[in-house]
Amino acid sequence: MRLHPFALSEPETVPEAIEVLARLDGEARVIAGGTALVPTMRLGLVRPDRLVSLHRVPALSSIRRDGSALDIGAMTTLSSLSRHDAVRSGWPLLGEAAHRVATPAIRSTATLGGNLCYAEAASDPAPALLCLEAQAHVAGPSGERVVPLAGFFTGFFETALAPGEILTGVRVPAAPSGARSGYMRFCPRSAEDKPLVGVAALLVLDAAKHVADVRIALGGAAPTPIRAHRAESILSGELLTETVIRGAAEAAAAQADPLSDLMGSAAYRRETIRVWVRRLLLSLS
Amino acid sequence: MISVDFTLNGRACRIDVPAHWTALDLLRDGLALNGTKYGCGEGVCGTCTVLVDGEPARACLLLVARLRGRAVLTVEGLDRDGEPDRLQTAFARAGAVQCGFCTPGMLLSARALLATNPSPTENDVREALAGNLCRCTGYTKIVQAVLAAAGGP
Repeated sequence: MRLHPFALSEPETVPEAIEVLARLDGEARVIAGGTALVPTMRLGLVRPDRLVSLHRVPALSSIRRDGSALDIGAMTTLSSLSRHDAVRSGWPLLGEAAHRVATPAIRSTATLGGNLCYAEAASDPAPALLCLEAQAHVAGPSGERVVPLAGFFTGFFETALAPGEILTGVRVPAAPSGARSGYMRFCPRSAEDKPLVGVAALLVLDAAKHVADVRIALGGAAPTPIRAHRAESILSGELLTETVIRGAAEAAAAQADPLSDLMGSAAYRRETIRVWVRRLLLSLS
Repeated sequence: MISVDFTLNGRACRIDVPAHWTALDLLRDGLALNGTKYGCGEGVCGTCTVLVDGEPARACLLLVARLRGRAVLTVEGLDRDGEPDRLQTAFARAGAVQCGFCTPGMLLSARALLATNPSPTENDVREALAGNLCRCTGYTKIVQAVLAAAGGP
């Protein structure tokens, strides 16, 4: 079955992309890897007359170190992200989460920017990037702006991008020194599915093994990926005992506002969050 | 129409093709290379898997413009002068083919694995083949075939 006929623009620079989108005034849709948009079009859920593909903008697929931070172009594929040396050594949490998305044949095509702009609540990279306190770099007709990733996800499949704006990349600050981190996801069906819930955590223990810094983020736990701030407050300054970890896991489950869908009910998701936050924290303790 | 230059199974191609076609539309309907199968059309089943610059990709999800300047390998490009390659031989010997619909995707995914990891573990093979659905074999013989090809001459 063919996709519906559409026109395709292939700008070669970011300003050109912005200009094309402005000229089309909301009639066009941006396509990155297409692993979400193409099936959505095939199902007839969207029927754009024109696509603006960003694959010919070289600046959007680079990964560059800038001081202690890492600038990742929005068109970076998930496979190149998870294989990248700097990512593996300095930001292993992000590399691990990117590697867990779907299957090799999807990761070769799907992009980090596309994943974030699709704004799937159960995104794998999003919780990792929330823990790393990443910033979204956005360009549009009125210039560039920076949005903390926590403010980028505004609702169910909704982002802070205004019409005519594109995500150009993500800036990921260095993790605090001595940080330990991990990502766990639970798939009730096959492992290549999107997760029912995903849990990312990053923490730093001081010399006396008290929690000096902690960040926990959840996918599939609310209409958007979220930070589990209540669980973080419970852990802050504490020793990672089993009791404290249980308390944090309860808090994360209580803070969650999960949806019910064919994959699982809200109650099942909440219970799953409690279990996997506990398991992840135990693995890091 | 858009014009796309790319390499297909080692040969340079230039083709004019509607912009809304996918790589799968081009291979099957434009070029009559029917080894690459149309299964789900949503990137889930793996039967349309081809290699693009050596990495497995779903032809049903790739707009044809994405092939520009890249090297595509389909199952038709695997054999050597009409002789089956190492993986194809191993699949035949192990009984890893029943109906055959998933086989092109399995072969290409396995080839991408062996190119970067010549001595995979069973788990590596299973991870590399994840997302290629087989409803006949139960996967065991496919995994055995890939391991045999890796260890073979």
